[in-house]
Amino acid sequence: MTQHVSPPRDGTGKTAPAGELPAWRGLMGRTDVRTLSLLGVLAALVVIGGVTKPDEFLDTRNLQLVLTQASVIGVVTVGMTFVITSGGIDLSVGAIVALASVWATTVATQEYGFAGILFTAVIVGVGCGLVNGLLIAYGGMVPFIATLAMLASARGLALQITDGRTQIVTVDGILDLGERDSYVLGVPPLVLVFAAVTIAGWLVLNRTTFGRRTVAVGGNAEAARLAGIDVRRQRLYLYLLSGLCCGIAAFLLIVLSGSGQNTNGNLYELDAIAAAIIGGTLLSGGRGTITGSVLGVLIFTTITNIFALNNLQSDVQQIAKGAIIVAAVLVQRRTASTT
Amino acid sequence: MSHPVSRVTSRRGLLFGTAAVSAGAFLAGCTSNESKDETPAANGQSAADDKPGKHVTIGFAGPQADHGWLNAINDNAKKRAEKYSDVTLEITEGSNDTAQQIGQIETLINKKVDVLVVLPADGKALTQVGLKAMRAGIPVVNLDRIFNTPQAYRCWIGGDNYGMGLNAGHYIGEKLKDKPDARVIELAGLDNLELTKQRTQGFDDALKNYPNIKKVARQAAEFTVESGQAKMAQLLQAQPKFDALWNHDDDQGVGALRAIEQAGRDDFLMVGGAGALSAFQAIKQDNGVLKATVLYPPTMAASAIDLARALGQGKGVGGLAEYEIPASLTLYSAVVDKTNVDQYMSTGFR
Amino acid sequence: MASPPSLLSMSGITKSFPGVRALDGVDLDVQAGEVHCLLGQNGAGKSTLIKVLAGAHQPDTGTIRWRGEEVVLRSPIAAMRLGIATIYQELDLVEHLSVAENVHLGHEPTAAGFVVRRRTAKASTAALLKRLGHPEIDPGRLVGDLSAAQQQIVSMARALSHDVRLIVMDEPSAALDPDEVDNLFRIVGDLTADGVAVVYISHRLEEIRRIGDRVTVLKDGRAVAGGLPAKTTPTREVVSLMTGRTMEYVFPERPAAPPTGTPVLQVRGLARDGEFAPLDLEVHAGEIVGLAGLVGSGRSEILETVYGARKPTAGQVLVEGRPLRPGSVRAAVRAGVGLAPEERKAQALLMLESVTRNVSVSSLSRFSRAGWIDRGAERAAARAATRELSLRPDNPSVPVRTLSGGNQQKAVLARWLLRGCRVLLLDEPTRGVDVGARAELYAVVRRLADEGLAVLLVSSEVPEVLGLADRVLVLREGSVVHTAPAGELDEHRVLDLVMEGSPAS
Repeated sequence: MTQHVSPPRDGTGKTAPAGELPAWRGLMGRTDVRTLSLLGVLAALVVIGGVTKPDEFLDTRNLQLVLTQASVIGVVTVGMTFVITSGGIDLSVGAIVALASVWATTVATQEYGFAGILFTAVIVGVGCGLVNGLLIAYGGMVPFIATLAMLASARGLALQITDGRTQIVTVDGILDLGERDSYVLGVPPLVLVFAAVTIAGWLVLNRTTFGRRTVAVGGNAEAARLAGIDVRRQRLYLYLLSGLCCGIAAFLLIVLSGSGQNTNGNLYELDAIAAAIIGGTLLSGGRGTITGSVLGVLIFTTITNIFALNNLQSDVQQIAKGAIIVAAVLVQRRTASTT
Repeated sequence: MSHPVSRVTSRRGLLFGTAAVSAGAFLAGCTSNESKDETPAANGQSAADDKPGKHVTIGFAGPQADHGWLNAINDNAKKRAEKYSDVTLEITEGSNDTAQQIGQIETLINKKVDVLVVLPADGKALTQVGLKAMRAGIPVVNLDRIFNTPQAYRCWIGGDNYGMGLNAGHYIGEKLKDKPDARVIELAGLDNLELTKQRTQGFDDALKNYPNIKKVARQAAEFTVESGQAKMAQLLQAQPKFDALWNHDDDQGVGALRAIEQAGRDDFLMVGGAGALSAFQAIKQDNGVLKATVLYPPTMAASAIDLARALGQGKGVGGLAEYEIPASLTLYSAVVDKTNVDQYMSTGFR
Repeated sequence: MASPPSLLSMSGITKSFPGVRALDGVDLDVQAGEVHCLLGQNGAGKSTLIKVLAGAHQPDTGTIRWRGEEVVLRSPIAAMRLGIATIYQELDLVEHLSVAENVHLGHEPTAAGFVVRRRTAKASTAALLKRLGHPEIDPGRLVGDLSAAQQQIVSMARALSHDVRLIVMDEPSAALDPDEVDNLFRIVGDLTADGVAVVYISHRLEEIRRIGDRVTVLKDGRAVAGGLPAKTTPTREVVSLMTGRTMEYVFPERPAAPPTGTPVLQVRGLARDGEFAPLDLEVHAGEIVGLAGLVGSGRSEILETVYGARKPTAGQVLVEGRPLRPGSVRAAVRAGVGLAPEERKAQALLMLESVTRNVSVSSLSRFSRAGWIDRGAERAAARAATRELSLRPDNPSVPVRTLSGGNQQKAVLARWLLRGCRVLLLDEPTRGVDVGARAELYAVVRRLADEGLAVLLVSSEVPEVLGLADRVLVLREGSVVHTAPAGELDEHRVLDLVMEGSPAS
């Protein structure tokens, strides 16, 4: 191919001239303000927790607890963030977590031990994501409908497998992973997985062609198509990715609860969407932030924690959760419009 | 220039395809839940006498068995009916949809079954169809979730949620009555159900008899393992020291026990609810915090079949002086602990 | 001075947005029954001014007098109540409602206060459409099913459904064919004869000459001239007022010898049923071929089919002798074809993203290893490409939405420049680009051709095709009716061919 432009690696652009800095900083600044406002909310919660329950809240074990409880929904939210960034939605995440956790804990699967459970959970998640992706990308179905159908079928299949029974895990390797003895330098293995998924998600969204294409498809699918991006394949991969995250989350849930149940993952779809949105990911697509989503998850988990420590009941918890979603989004709008 | 690329893709595709097929085969084999020790459901005793009598067709309509306890209800009804040579059981596909359940019951009425046993998805919403059956001359045995009016059933048989709380409270009270400033906590079930409120009320009323005991915390889970684990983990962090725990439901108790184990706590006693097999086994082994569970017995479905058969054959209840079947039977929420667990083991549900 | 007060008199209007002073003491005086033209480059403040007039923006300072009385236009409803209606360039119709429902949206004729009298609404809509010269539009049809020109008529009917004294039209002719433009002008004539005032915004000077009475020129948020006579003020003077310098459309020189050799782009018998007839054309390296034709003559469809965005029903496209997989954008892009589409914002740009990311989006694999993007290399390449096209501001990290129309178009061209494409398809390259920036864009296109690109150009502005292209294909209703070197054609000849289709040569 002949070139009409100086090759990309020529020296002229390597060092950014001074003129570029202010605008660049402006862009950075906007992201920072958004993240800072979330950190502010989280800090406020920490203060509230620390004042109301100083001994129980400001405690290593409580930190471990909050992070552990955030792990399962956190991993799901990372996948959801990609899907929403691309302008889609995945309503089936909770049902996929349920199906994967149930399938991976049947008597037959448990005979294959640790590896069998892990493998089954991940493959079932990916398989459901594949079906979602094919229906949406190549079947031309609206994501809302396709994943709603998956929600219904996966929950139904999970019920069929369990007959409504709780499947208790007897594989020691799985159970041990949730015990204090297997903490690595004080960090629970579940939290390590959550951290790894978060970092991987951040890198993929911000540093790879895959992430760039995701943002492009979400920002303007027609422009992305005319720019030569294979929009349909990208969509397929995105739902696959969400399914993969659900599979990993299902495995974490099996470790955490020592069982598989068809009621698992109840309303995860709403929690994950809410966390992503208050994190700053645009529901209409084109902008997504893994940092924001994870902060969103941590905010929700911390609220639940503070409420439980203060022995407030579920009615109050639900009201406060709604209020905090509204408040967080309003604060963001305010800060975003003043910069 | 696109040729090498596409060849790579297709080879990758082939590999992926092979992997997918073998994974699929593996997964298909992994849906099985067959295990060797299938438990017999109801106990052998019967309420009516066992001599075969007039043939009775019983229609049975229940909700979708999406929970271990409801599953046990269906099992108990089926197994009980099989025991009688003079009973035919017409059982419907379980449904949580009120409209669908009404349709199913109307079908049973049209089939002219002799007696109906109905566990409604929603007692209030199904009252009308109960009335319809009664007017058609089909006696209705209302199982557990009660209709709005006694006119809609001939006999109601069900559990006692208030009694569960009461008995759990008394059991804990007796264990802790000599301990000054004892602290107990409660892991409740789904808070928007009335039965949860009743269980909590019974528990609180029982504790009033023990002035040395104080309930220091209560959190509501959702009858699921996942929520049981999450809420219990929080409770354990909130209460570094307490003496007893009352958990409304053995299913969520699986998660609660998991959280207790993960937190490495064993400094209190725990009482469960409902009567799951896993709870019975833990009580029998007696190596953890779970010391007892309060029954909400699924055997009530077997008893309902007995009552229906007796109604169909015009008999009374054996052991009572009455000529007629009682209009209402509230079951006792027995406390199962190490001393009597063997007796109940066979009724435990999974 | 006994003359009656002006219908509208705005004076000393200022309006600032964070970081920008959009209006800086603008005066505007409009008489009843006149066509008052508003001219200015993009960013001169026209849109802000008409939004103030429509009640959508509140001015920071300044007064608005309506028939001599000072008024405050607190909201669009307040403006509407006075009789000010605005027809925006981006039509604000609800696609899923019918024509009649759109026309009466917000002021439906009702019985008992809430029951919509549909028959009355339909009848009055039909009357309005008849008055606008389009009795063929059925008031019951869904607006989404209408053509762009018909939607504009509906928008106008909506304005007239109020008791309107002043209509603001923002580039109403942009999406219209010549005969539709004629109809538009007839309507404007009728309105002014009734004493309605029209504030008319357009880039096309010849339109302003035809229907305008007076002209106000905006530049950098100030009115640099107010109330000039529209018919007699020399073009040179208007352009110099708008741009601050004297210039006309300047087209770059063509190369002396026509290019020869194997064509880079060959189109053989390409057709789409119902859109355009089998088409053959060739474009050589270094050559610019223009397609001239009316809206609806199949121009854009041809470009999109060549690009693979539409699947042809017959024929094939070859790039450097190799056939492309039909209906595959990716195949075209891989073979070195790039498209600058007609609707830049909807079809080309990622509006939330920086210039860099808009430029690099088609070449990501060049800056990545195993999917990992080398952002330093990406930035450097985007900078090099945008510098080569003198994109302003010279800072590719600014969001693309902050650029002017011309610079946004350069960002799209930079994308294909970076991709190293061999064939460039340009669809209405100067739409929404102001006069001053056009000449620069023409020079860029010619320079790209000189460097060896094959360029296929589509434009509804005949002078643009004639001035920029080497060879011109004239289209009429989906068929090529004439082909000739651009130098052998003039505007009249092309318009004749376009209208009549007689290949009489």
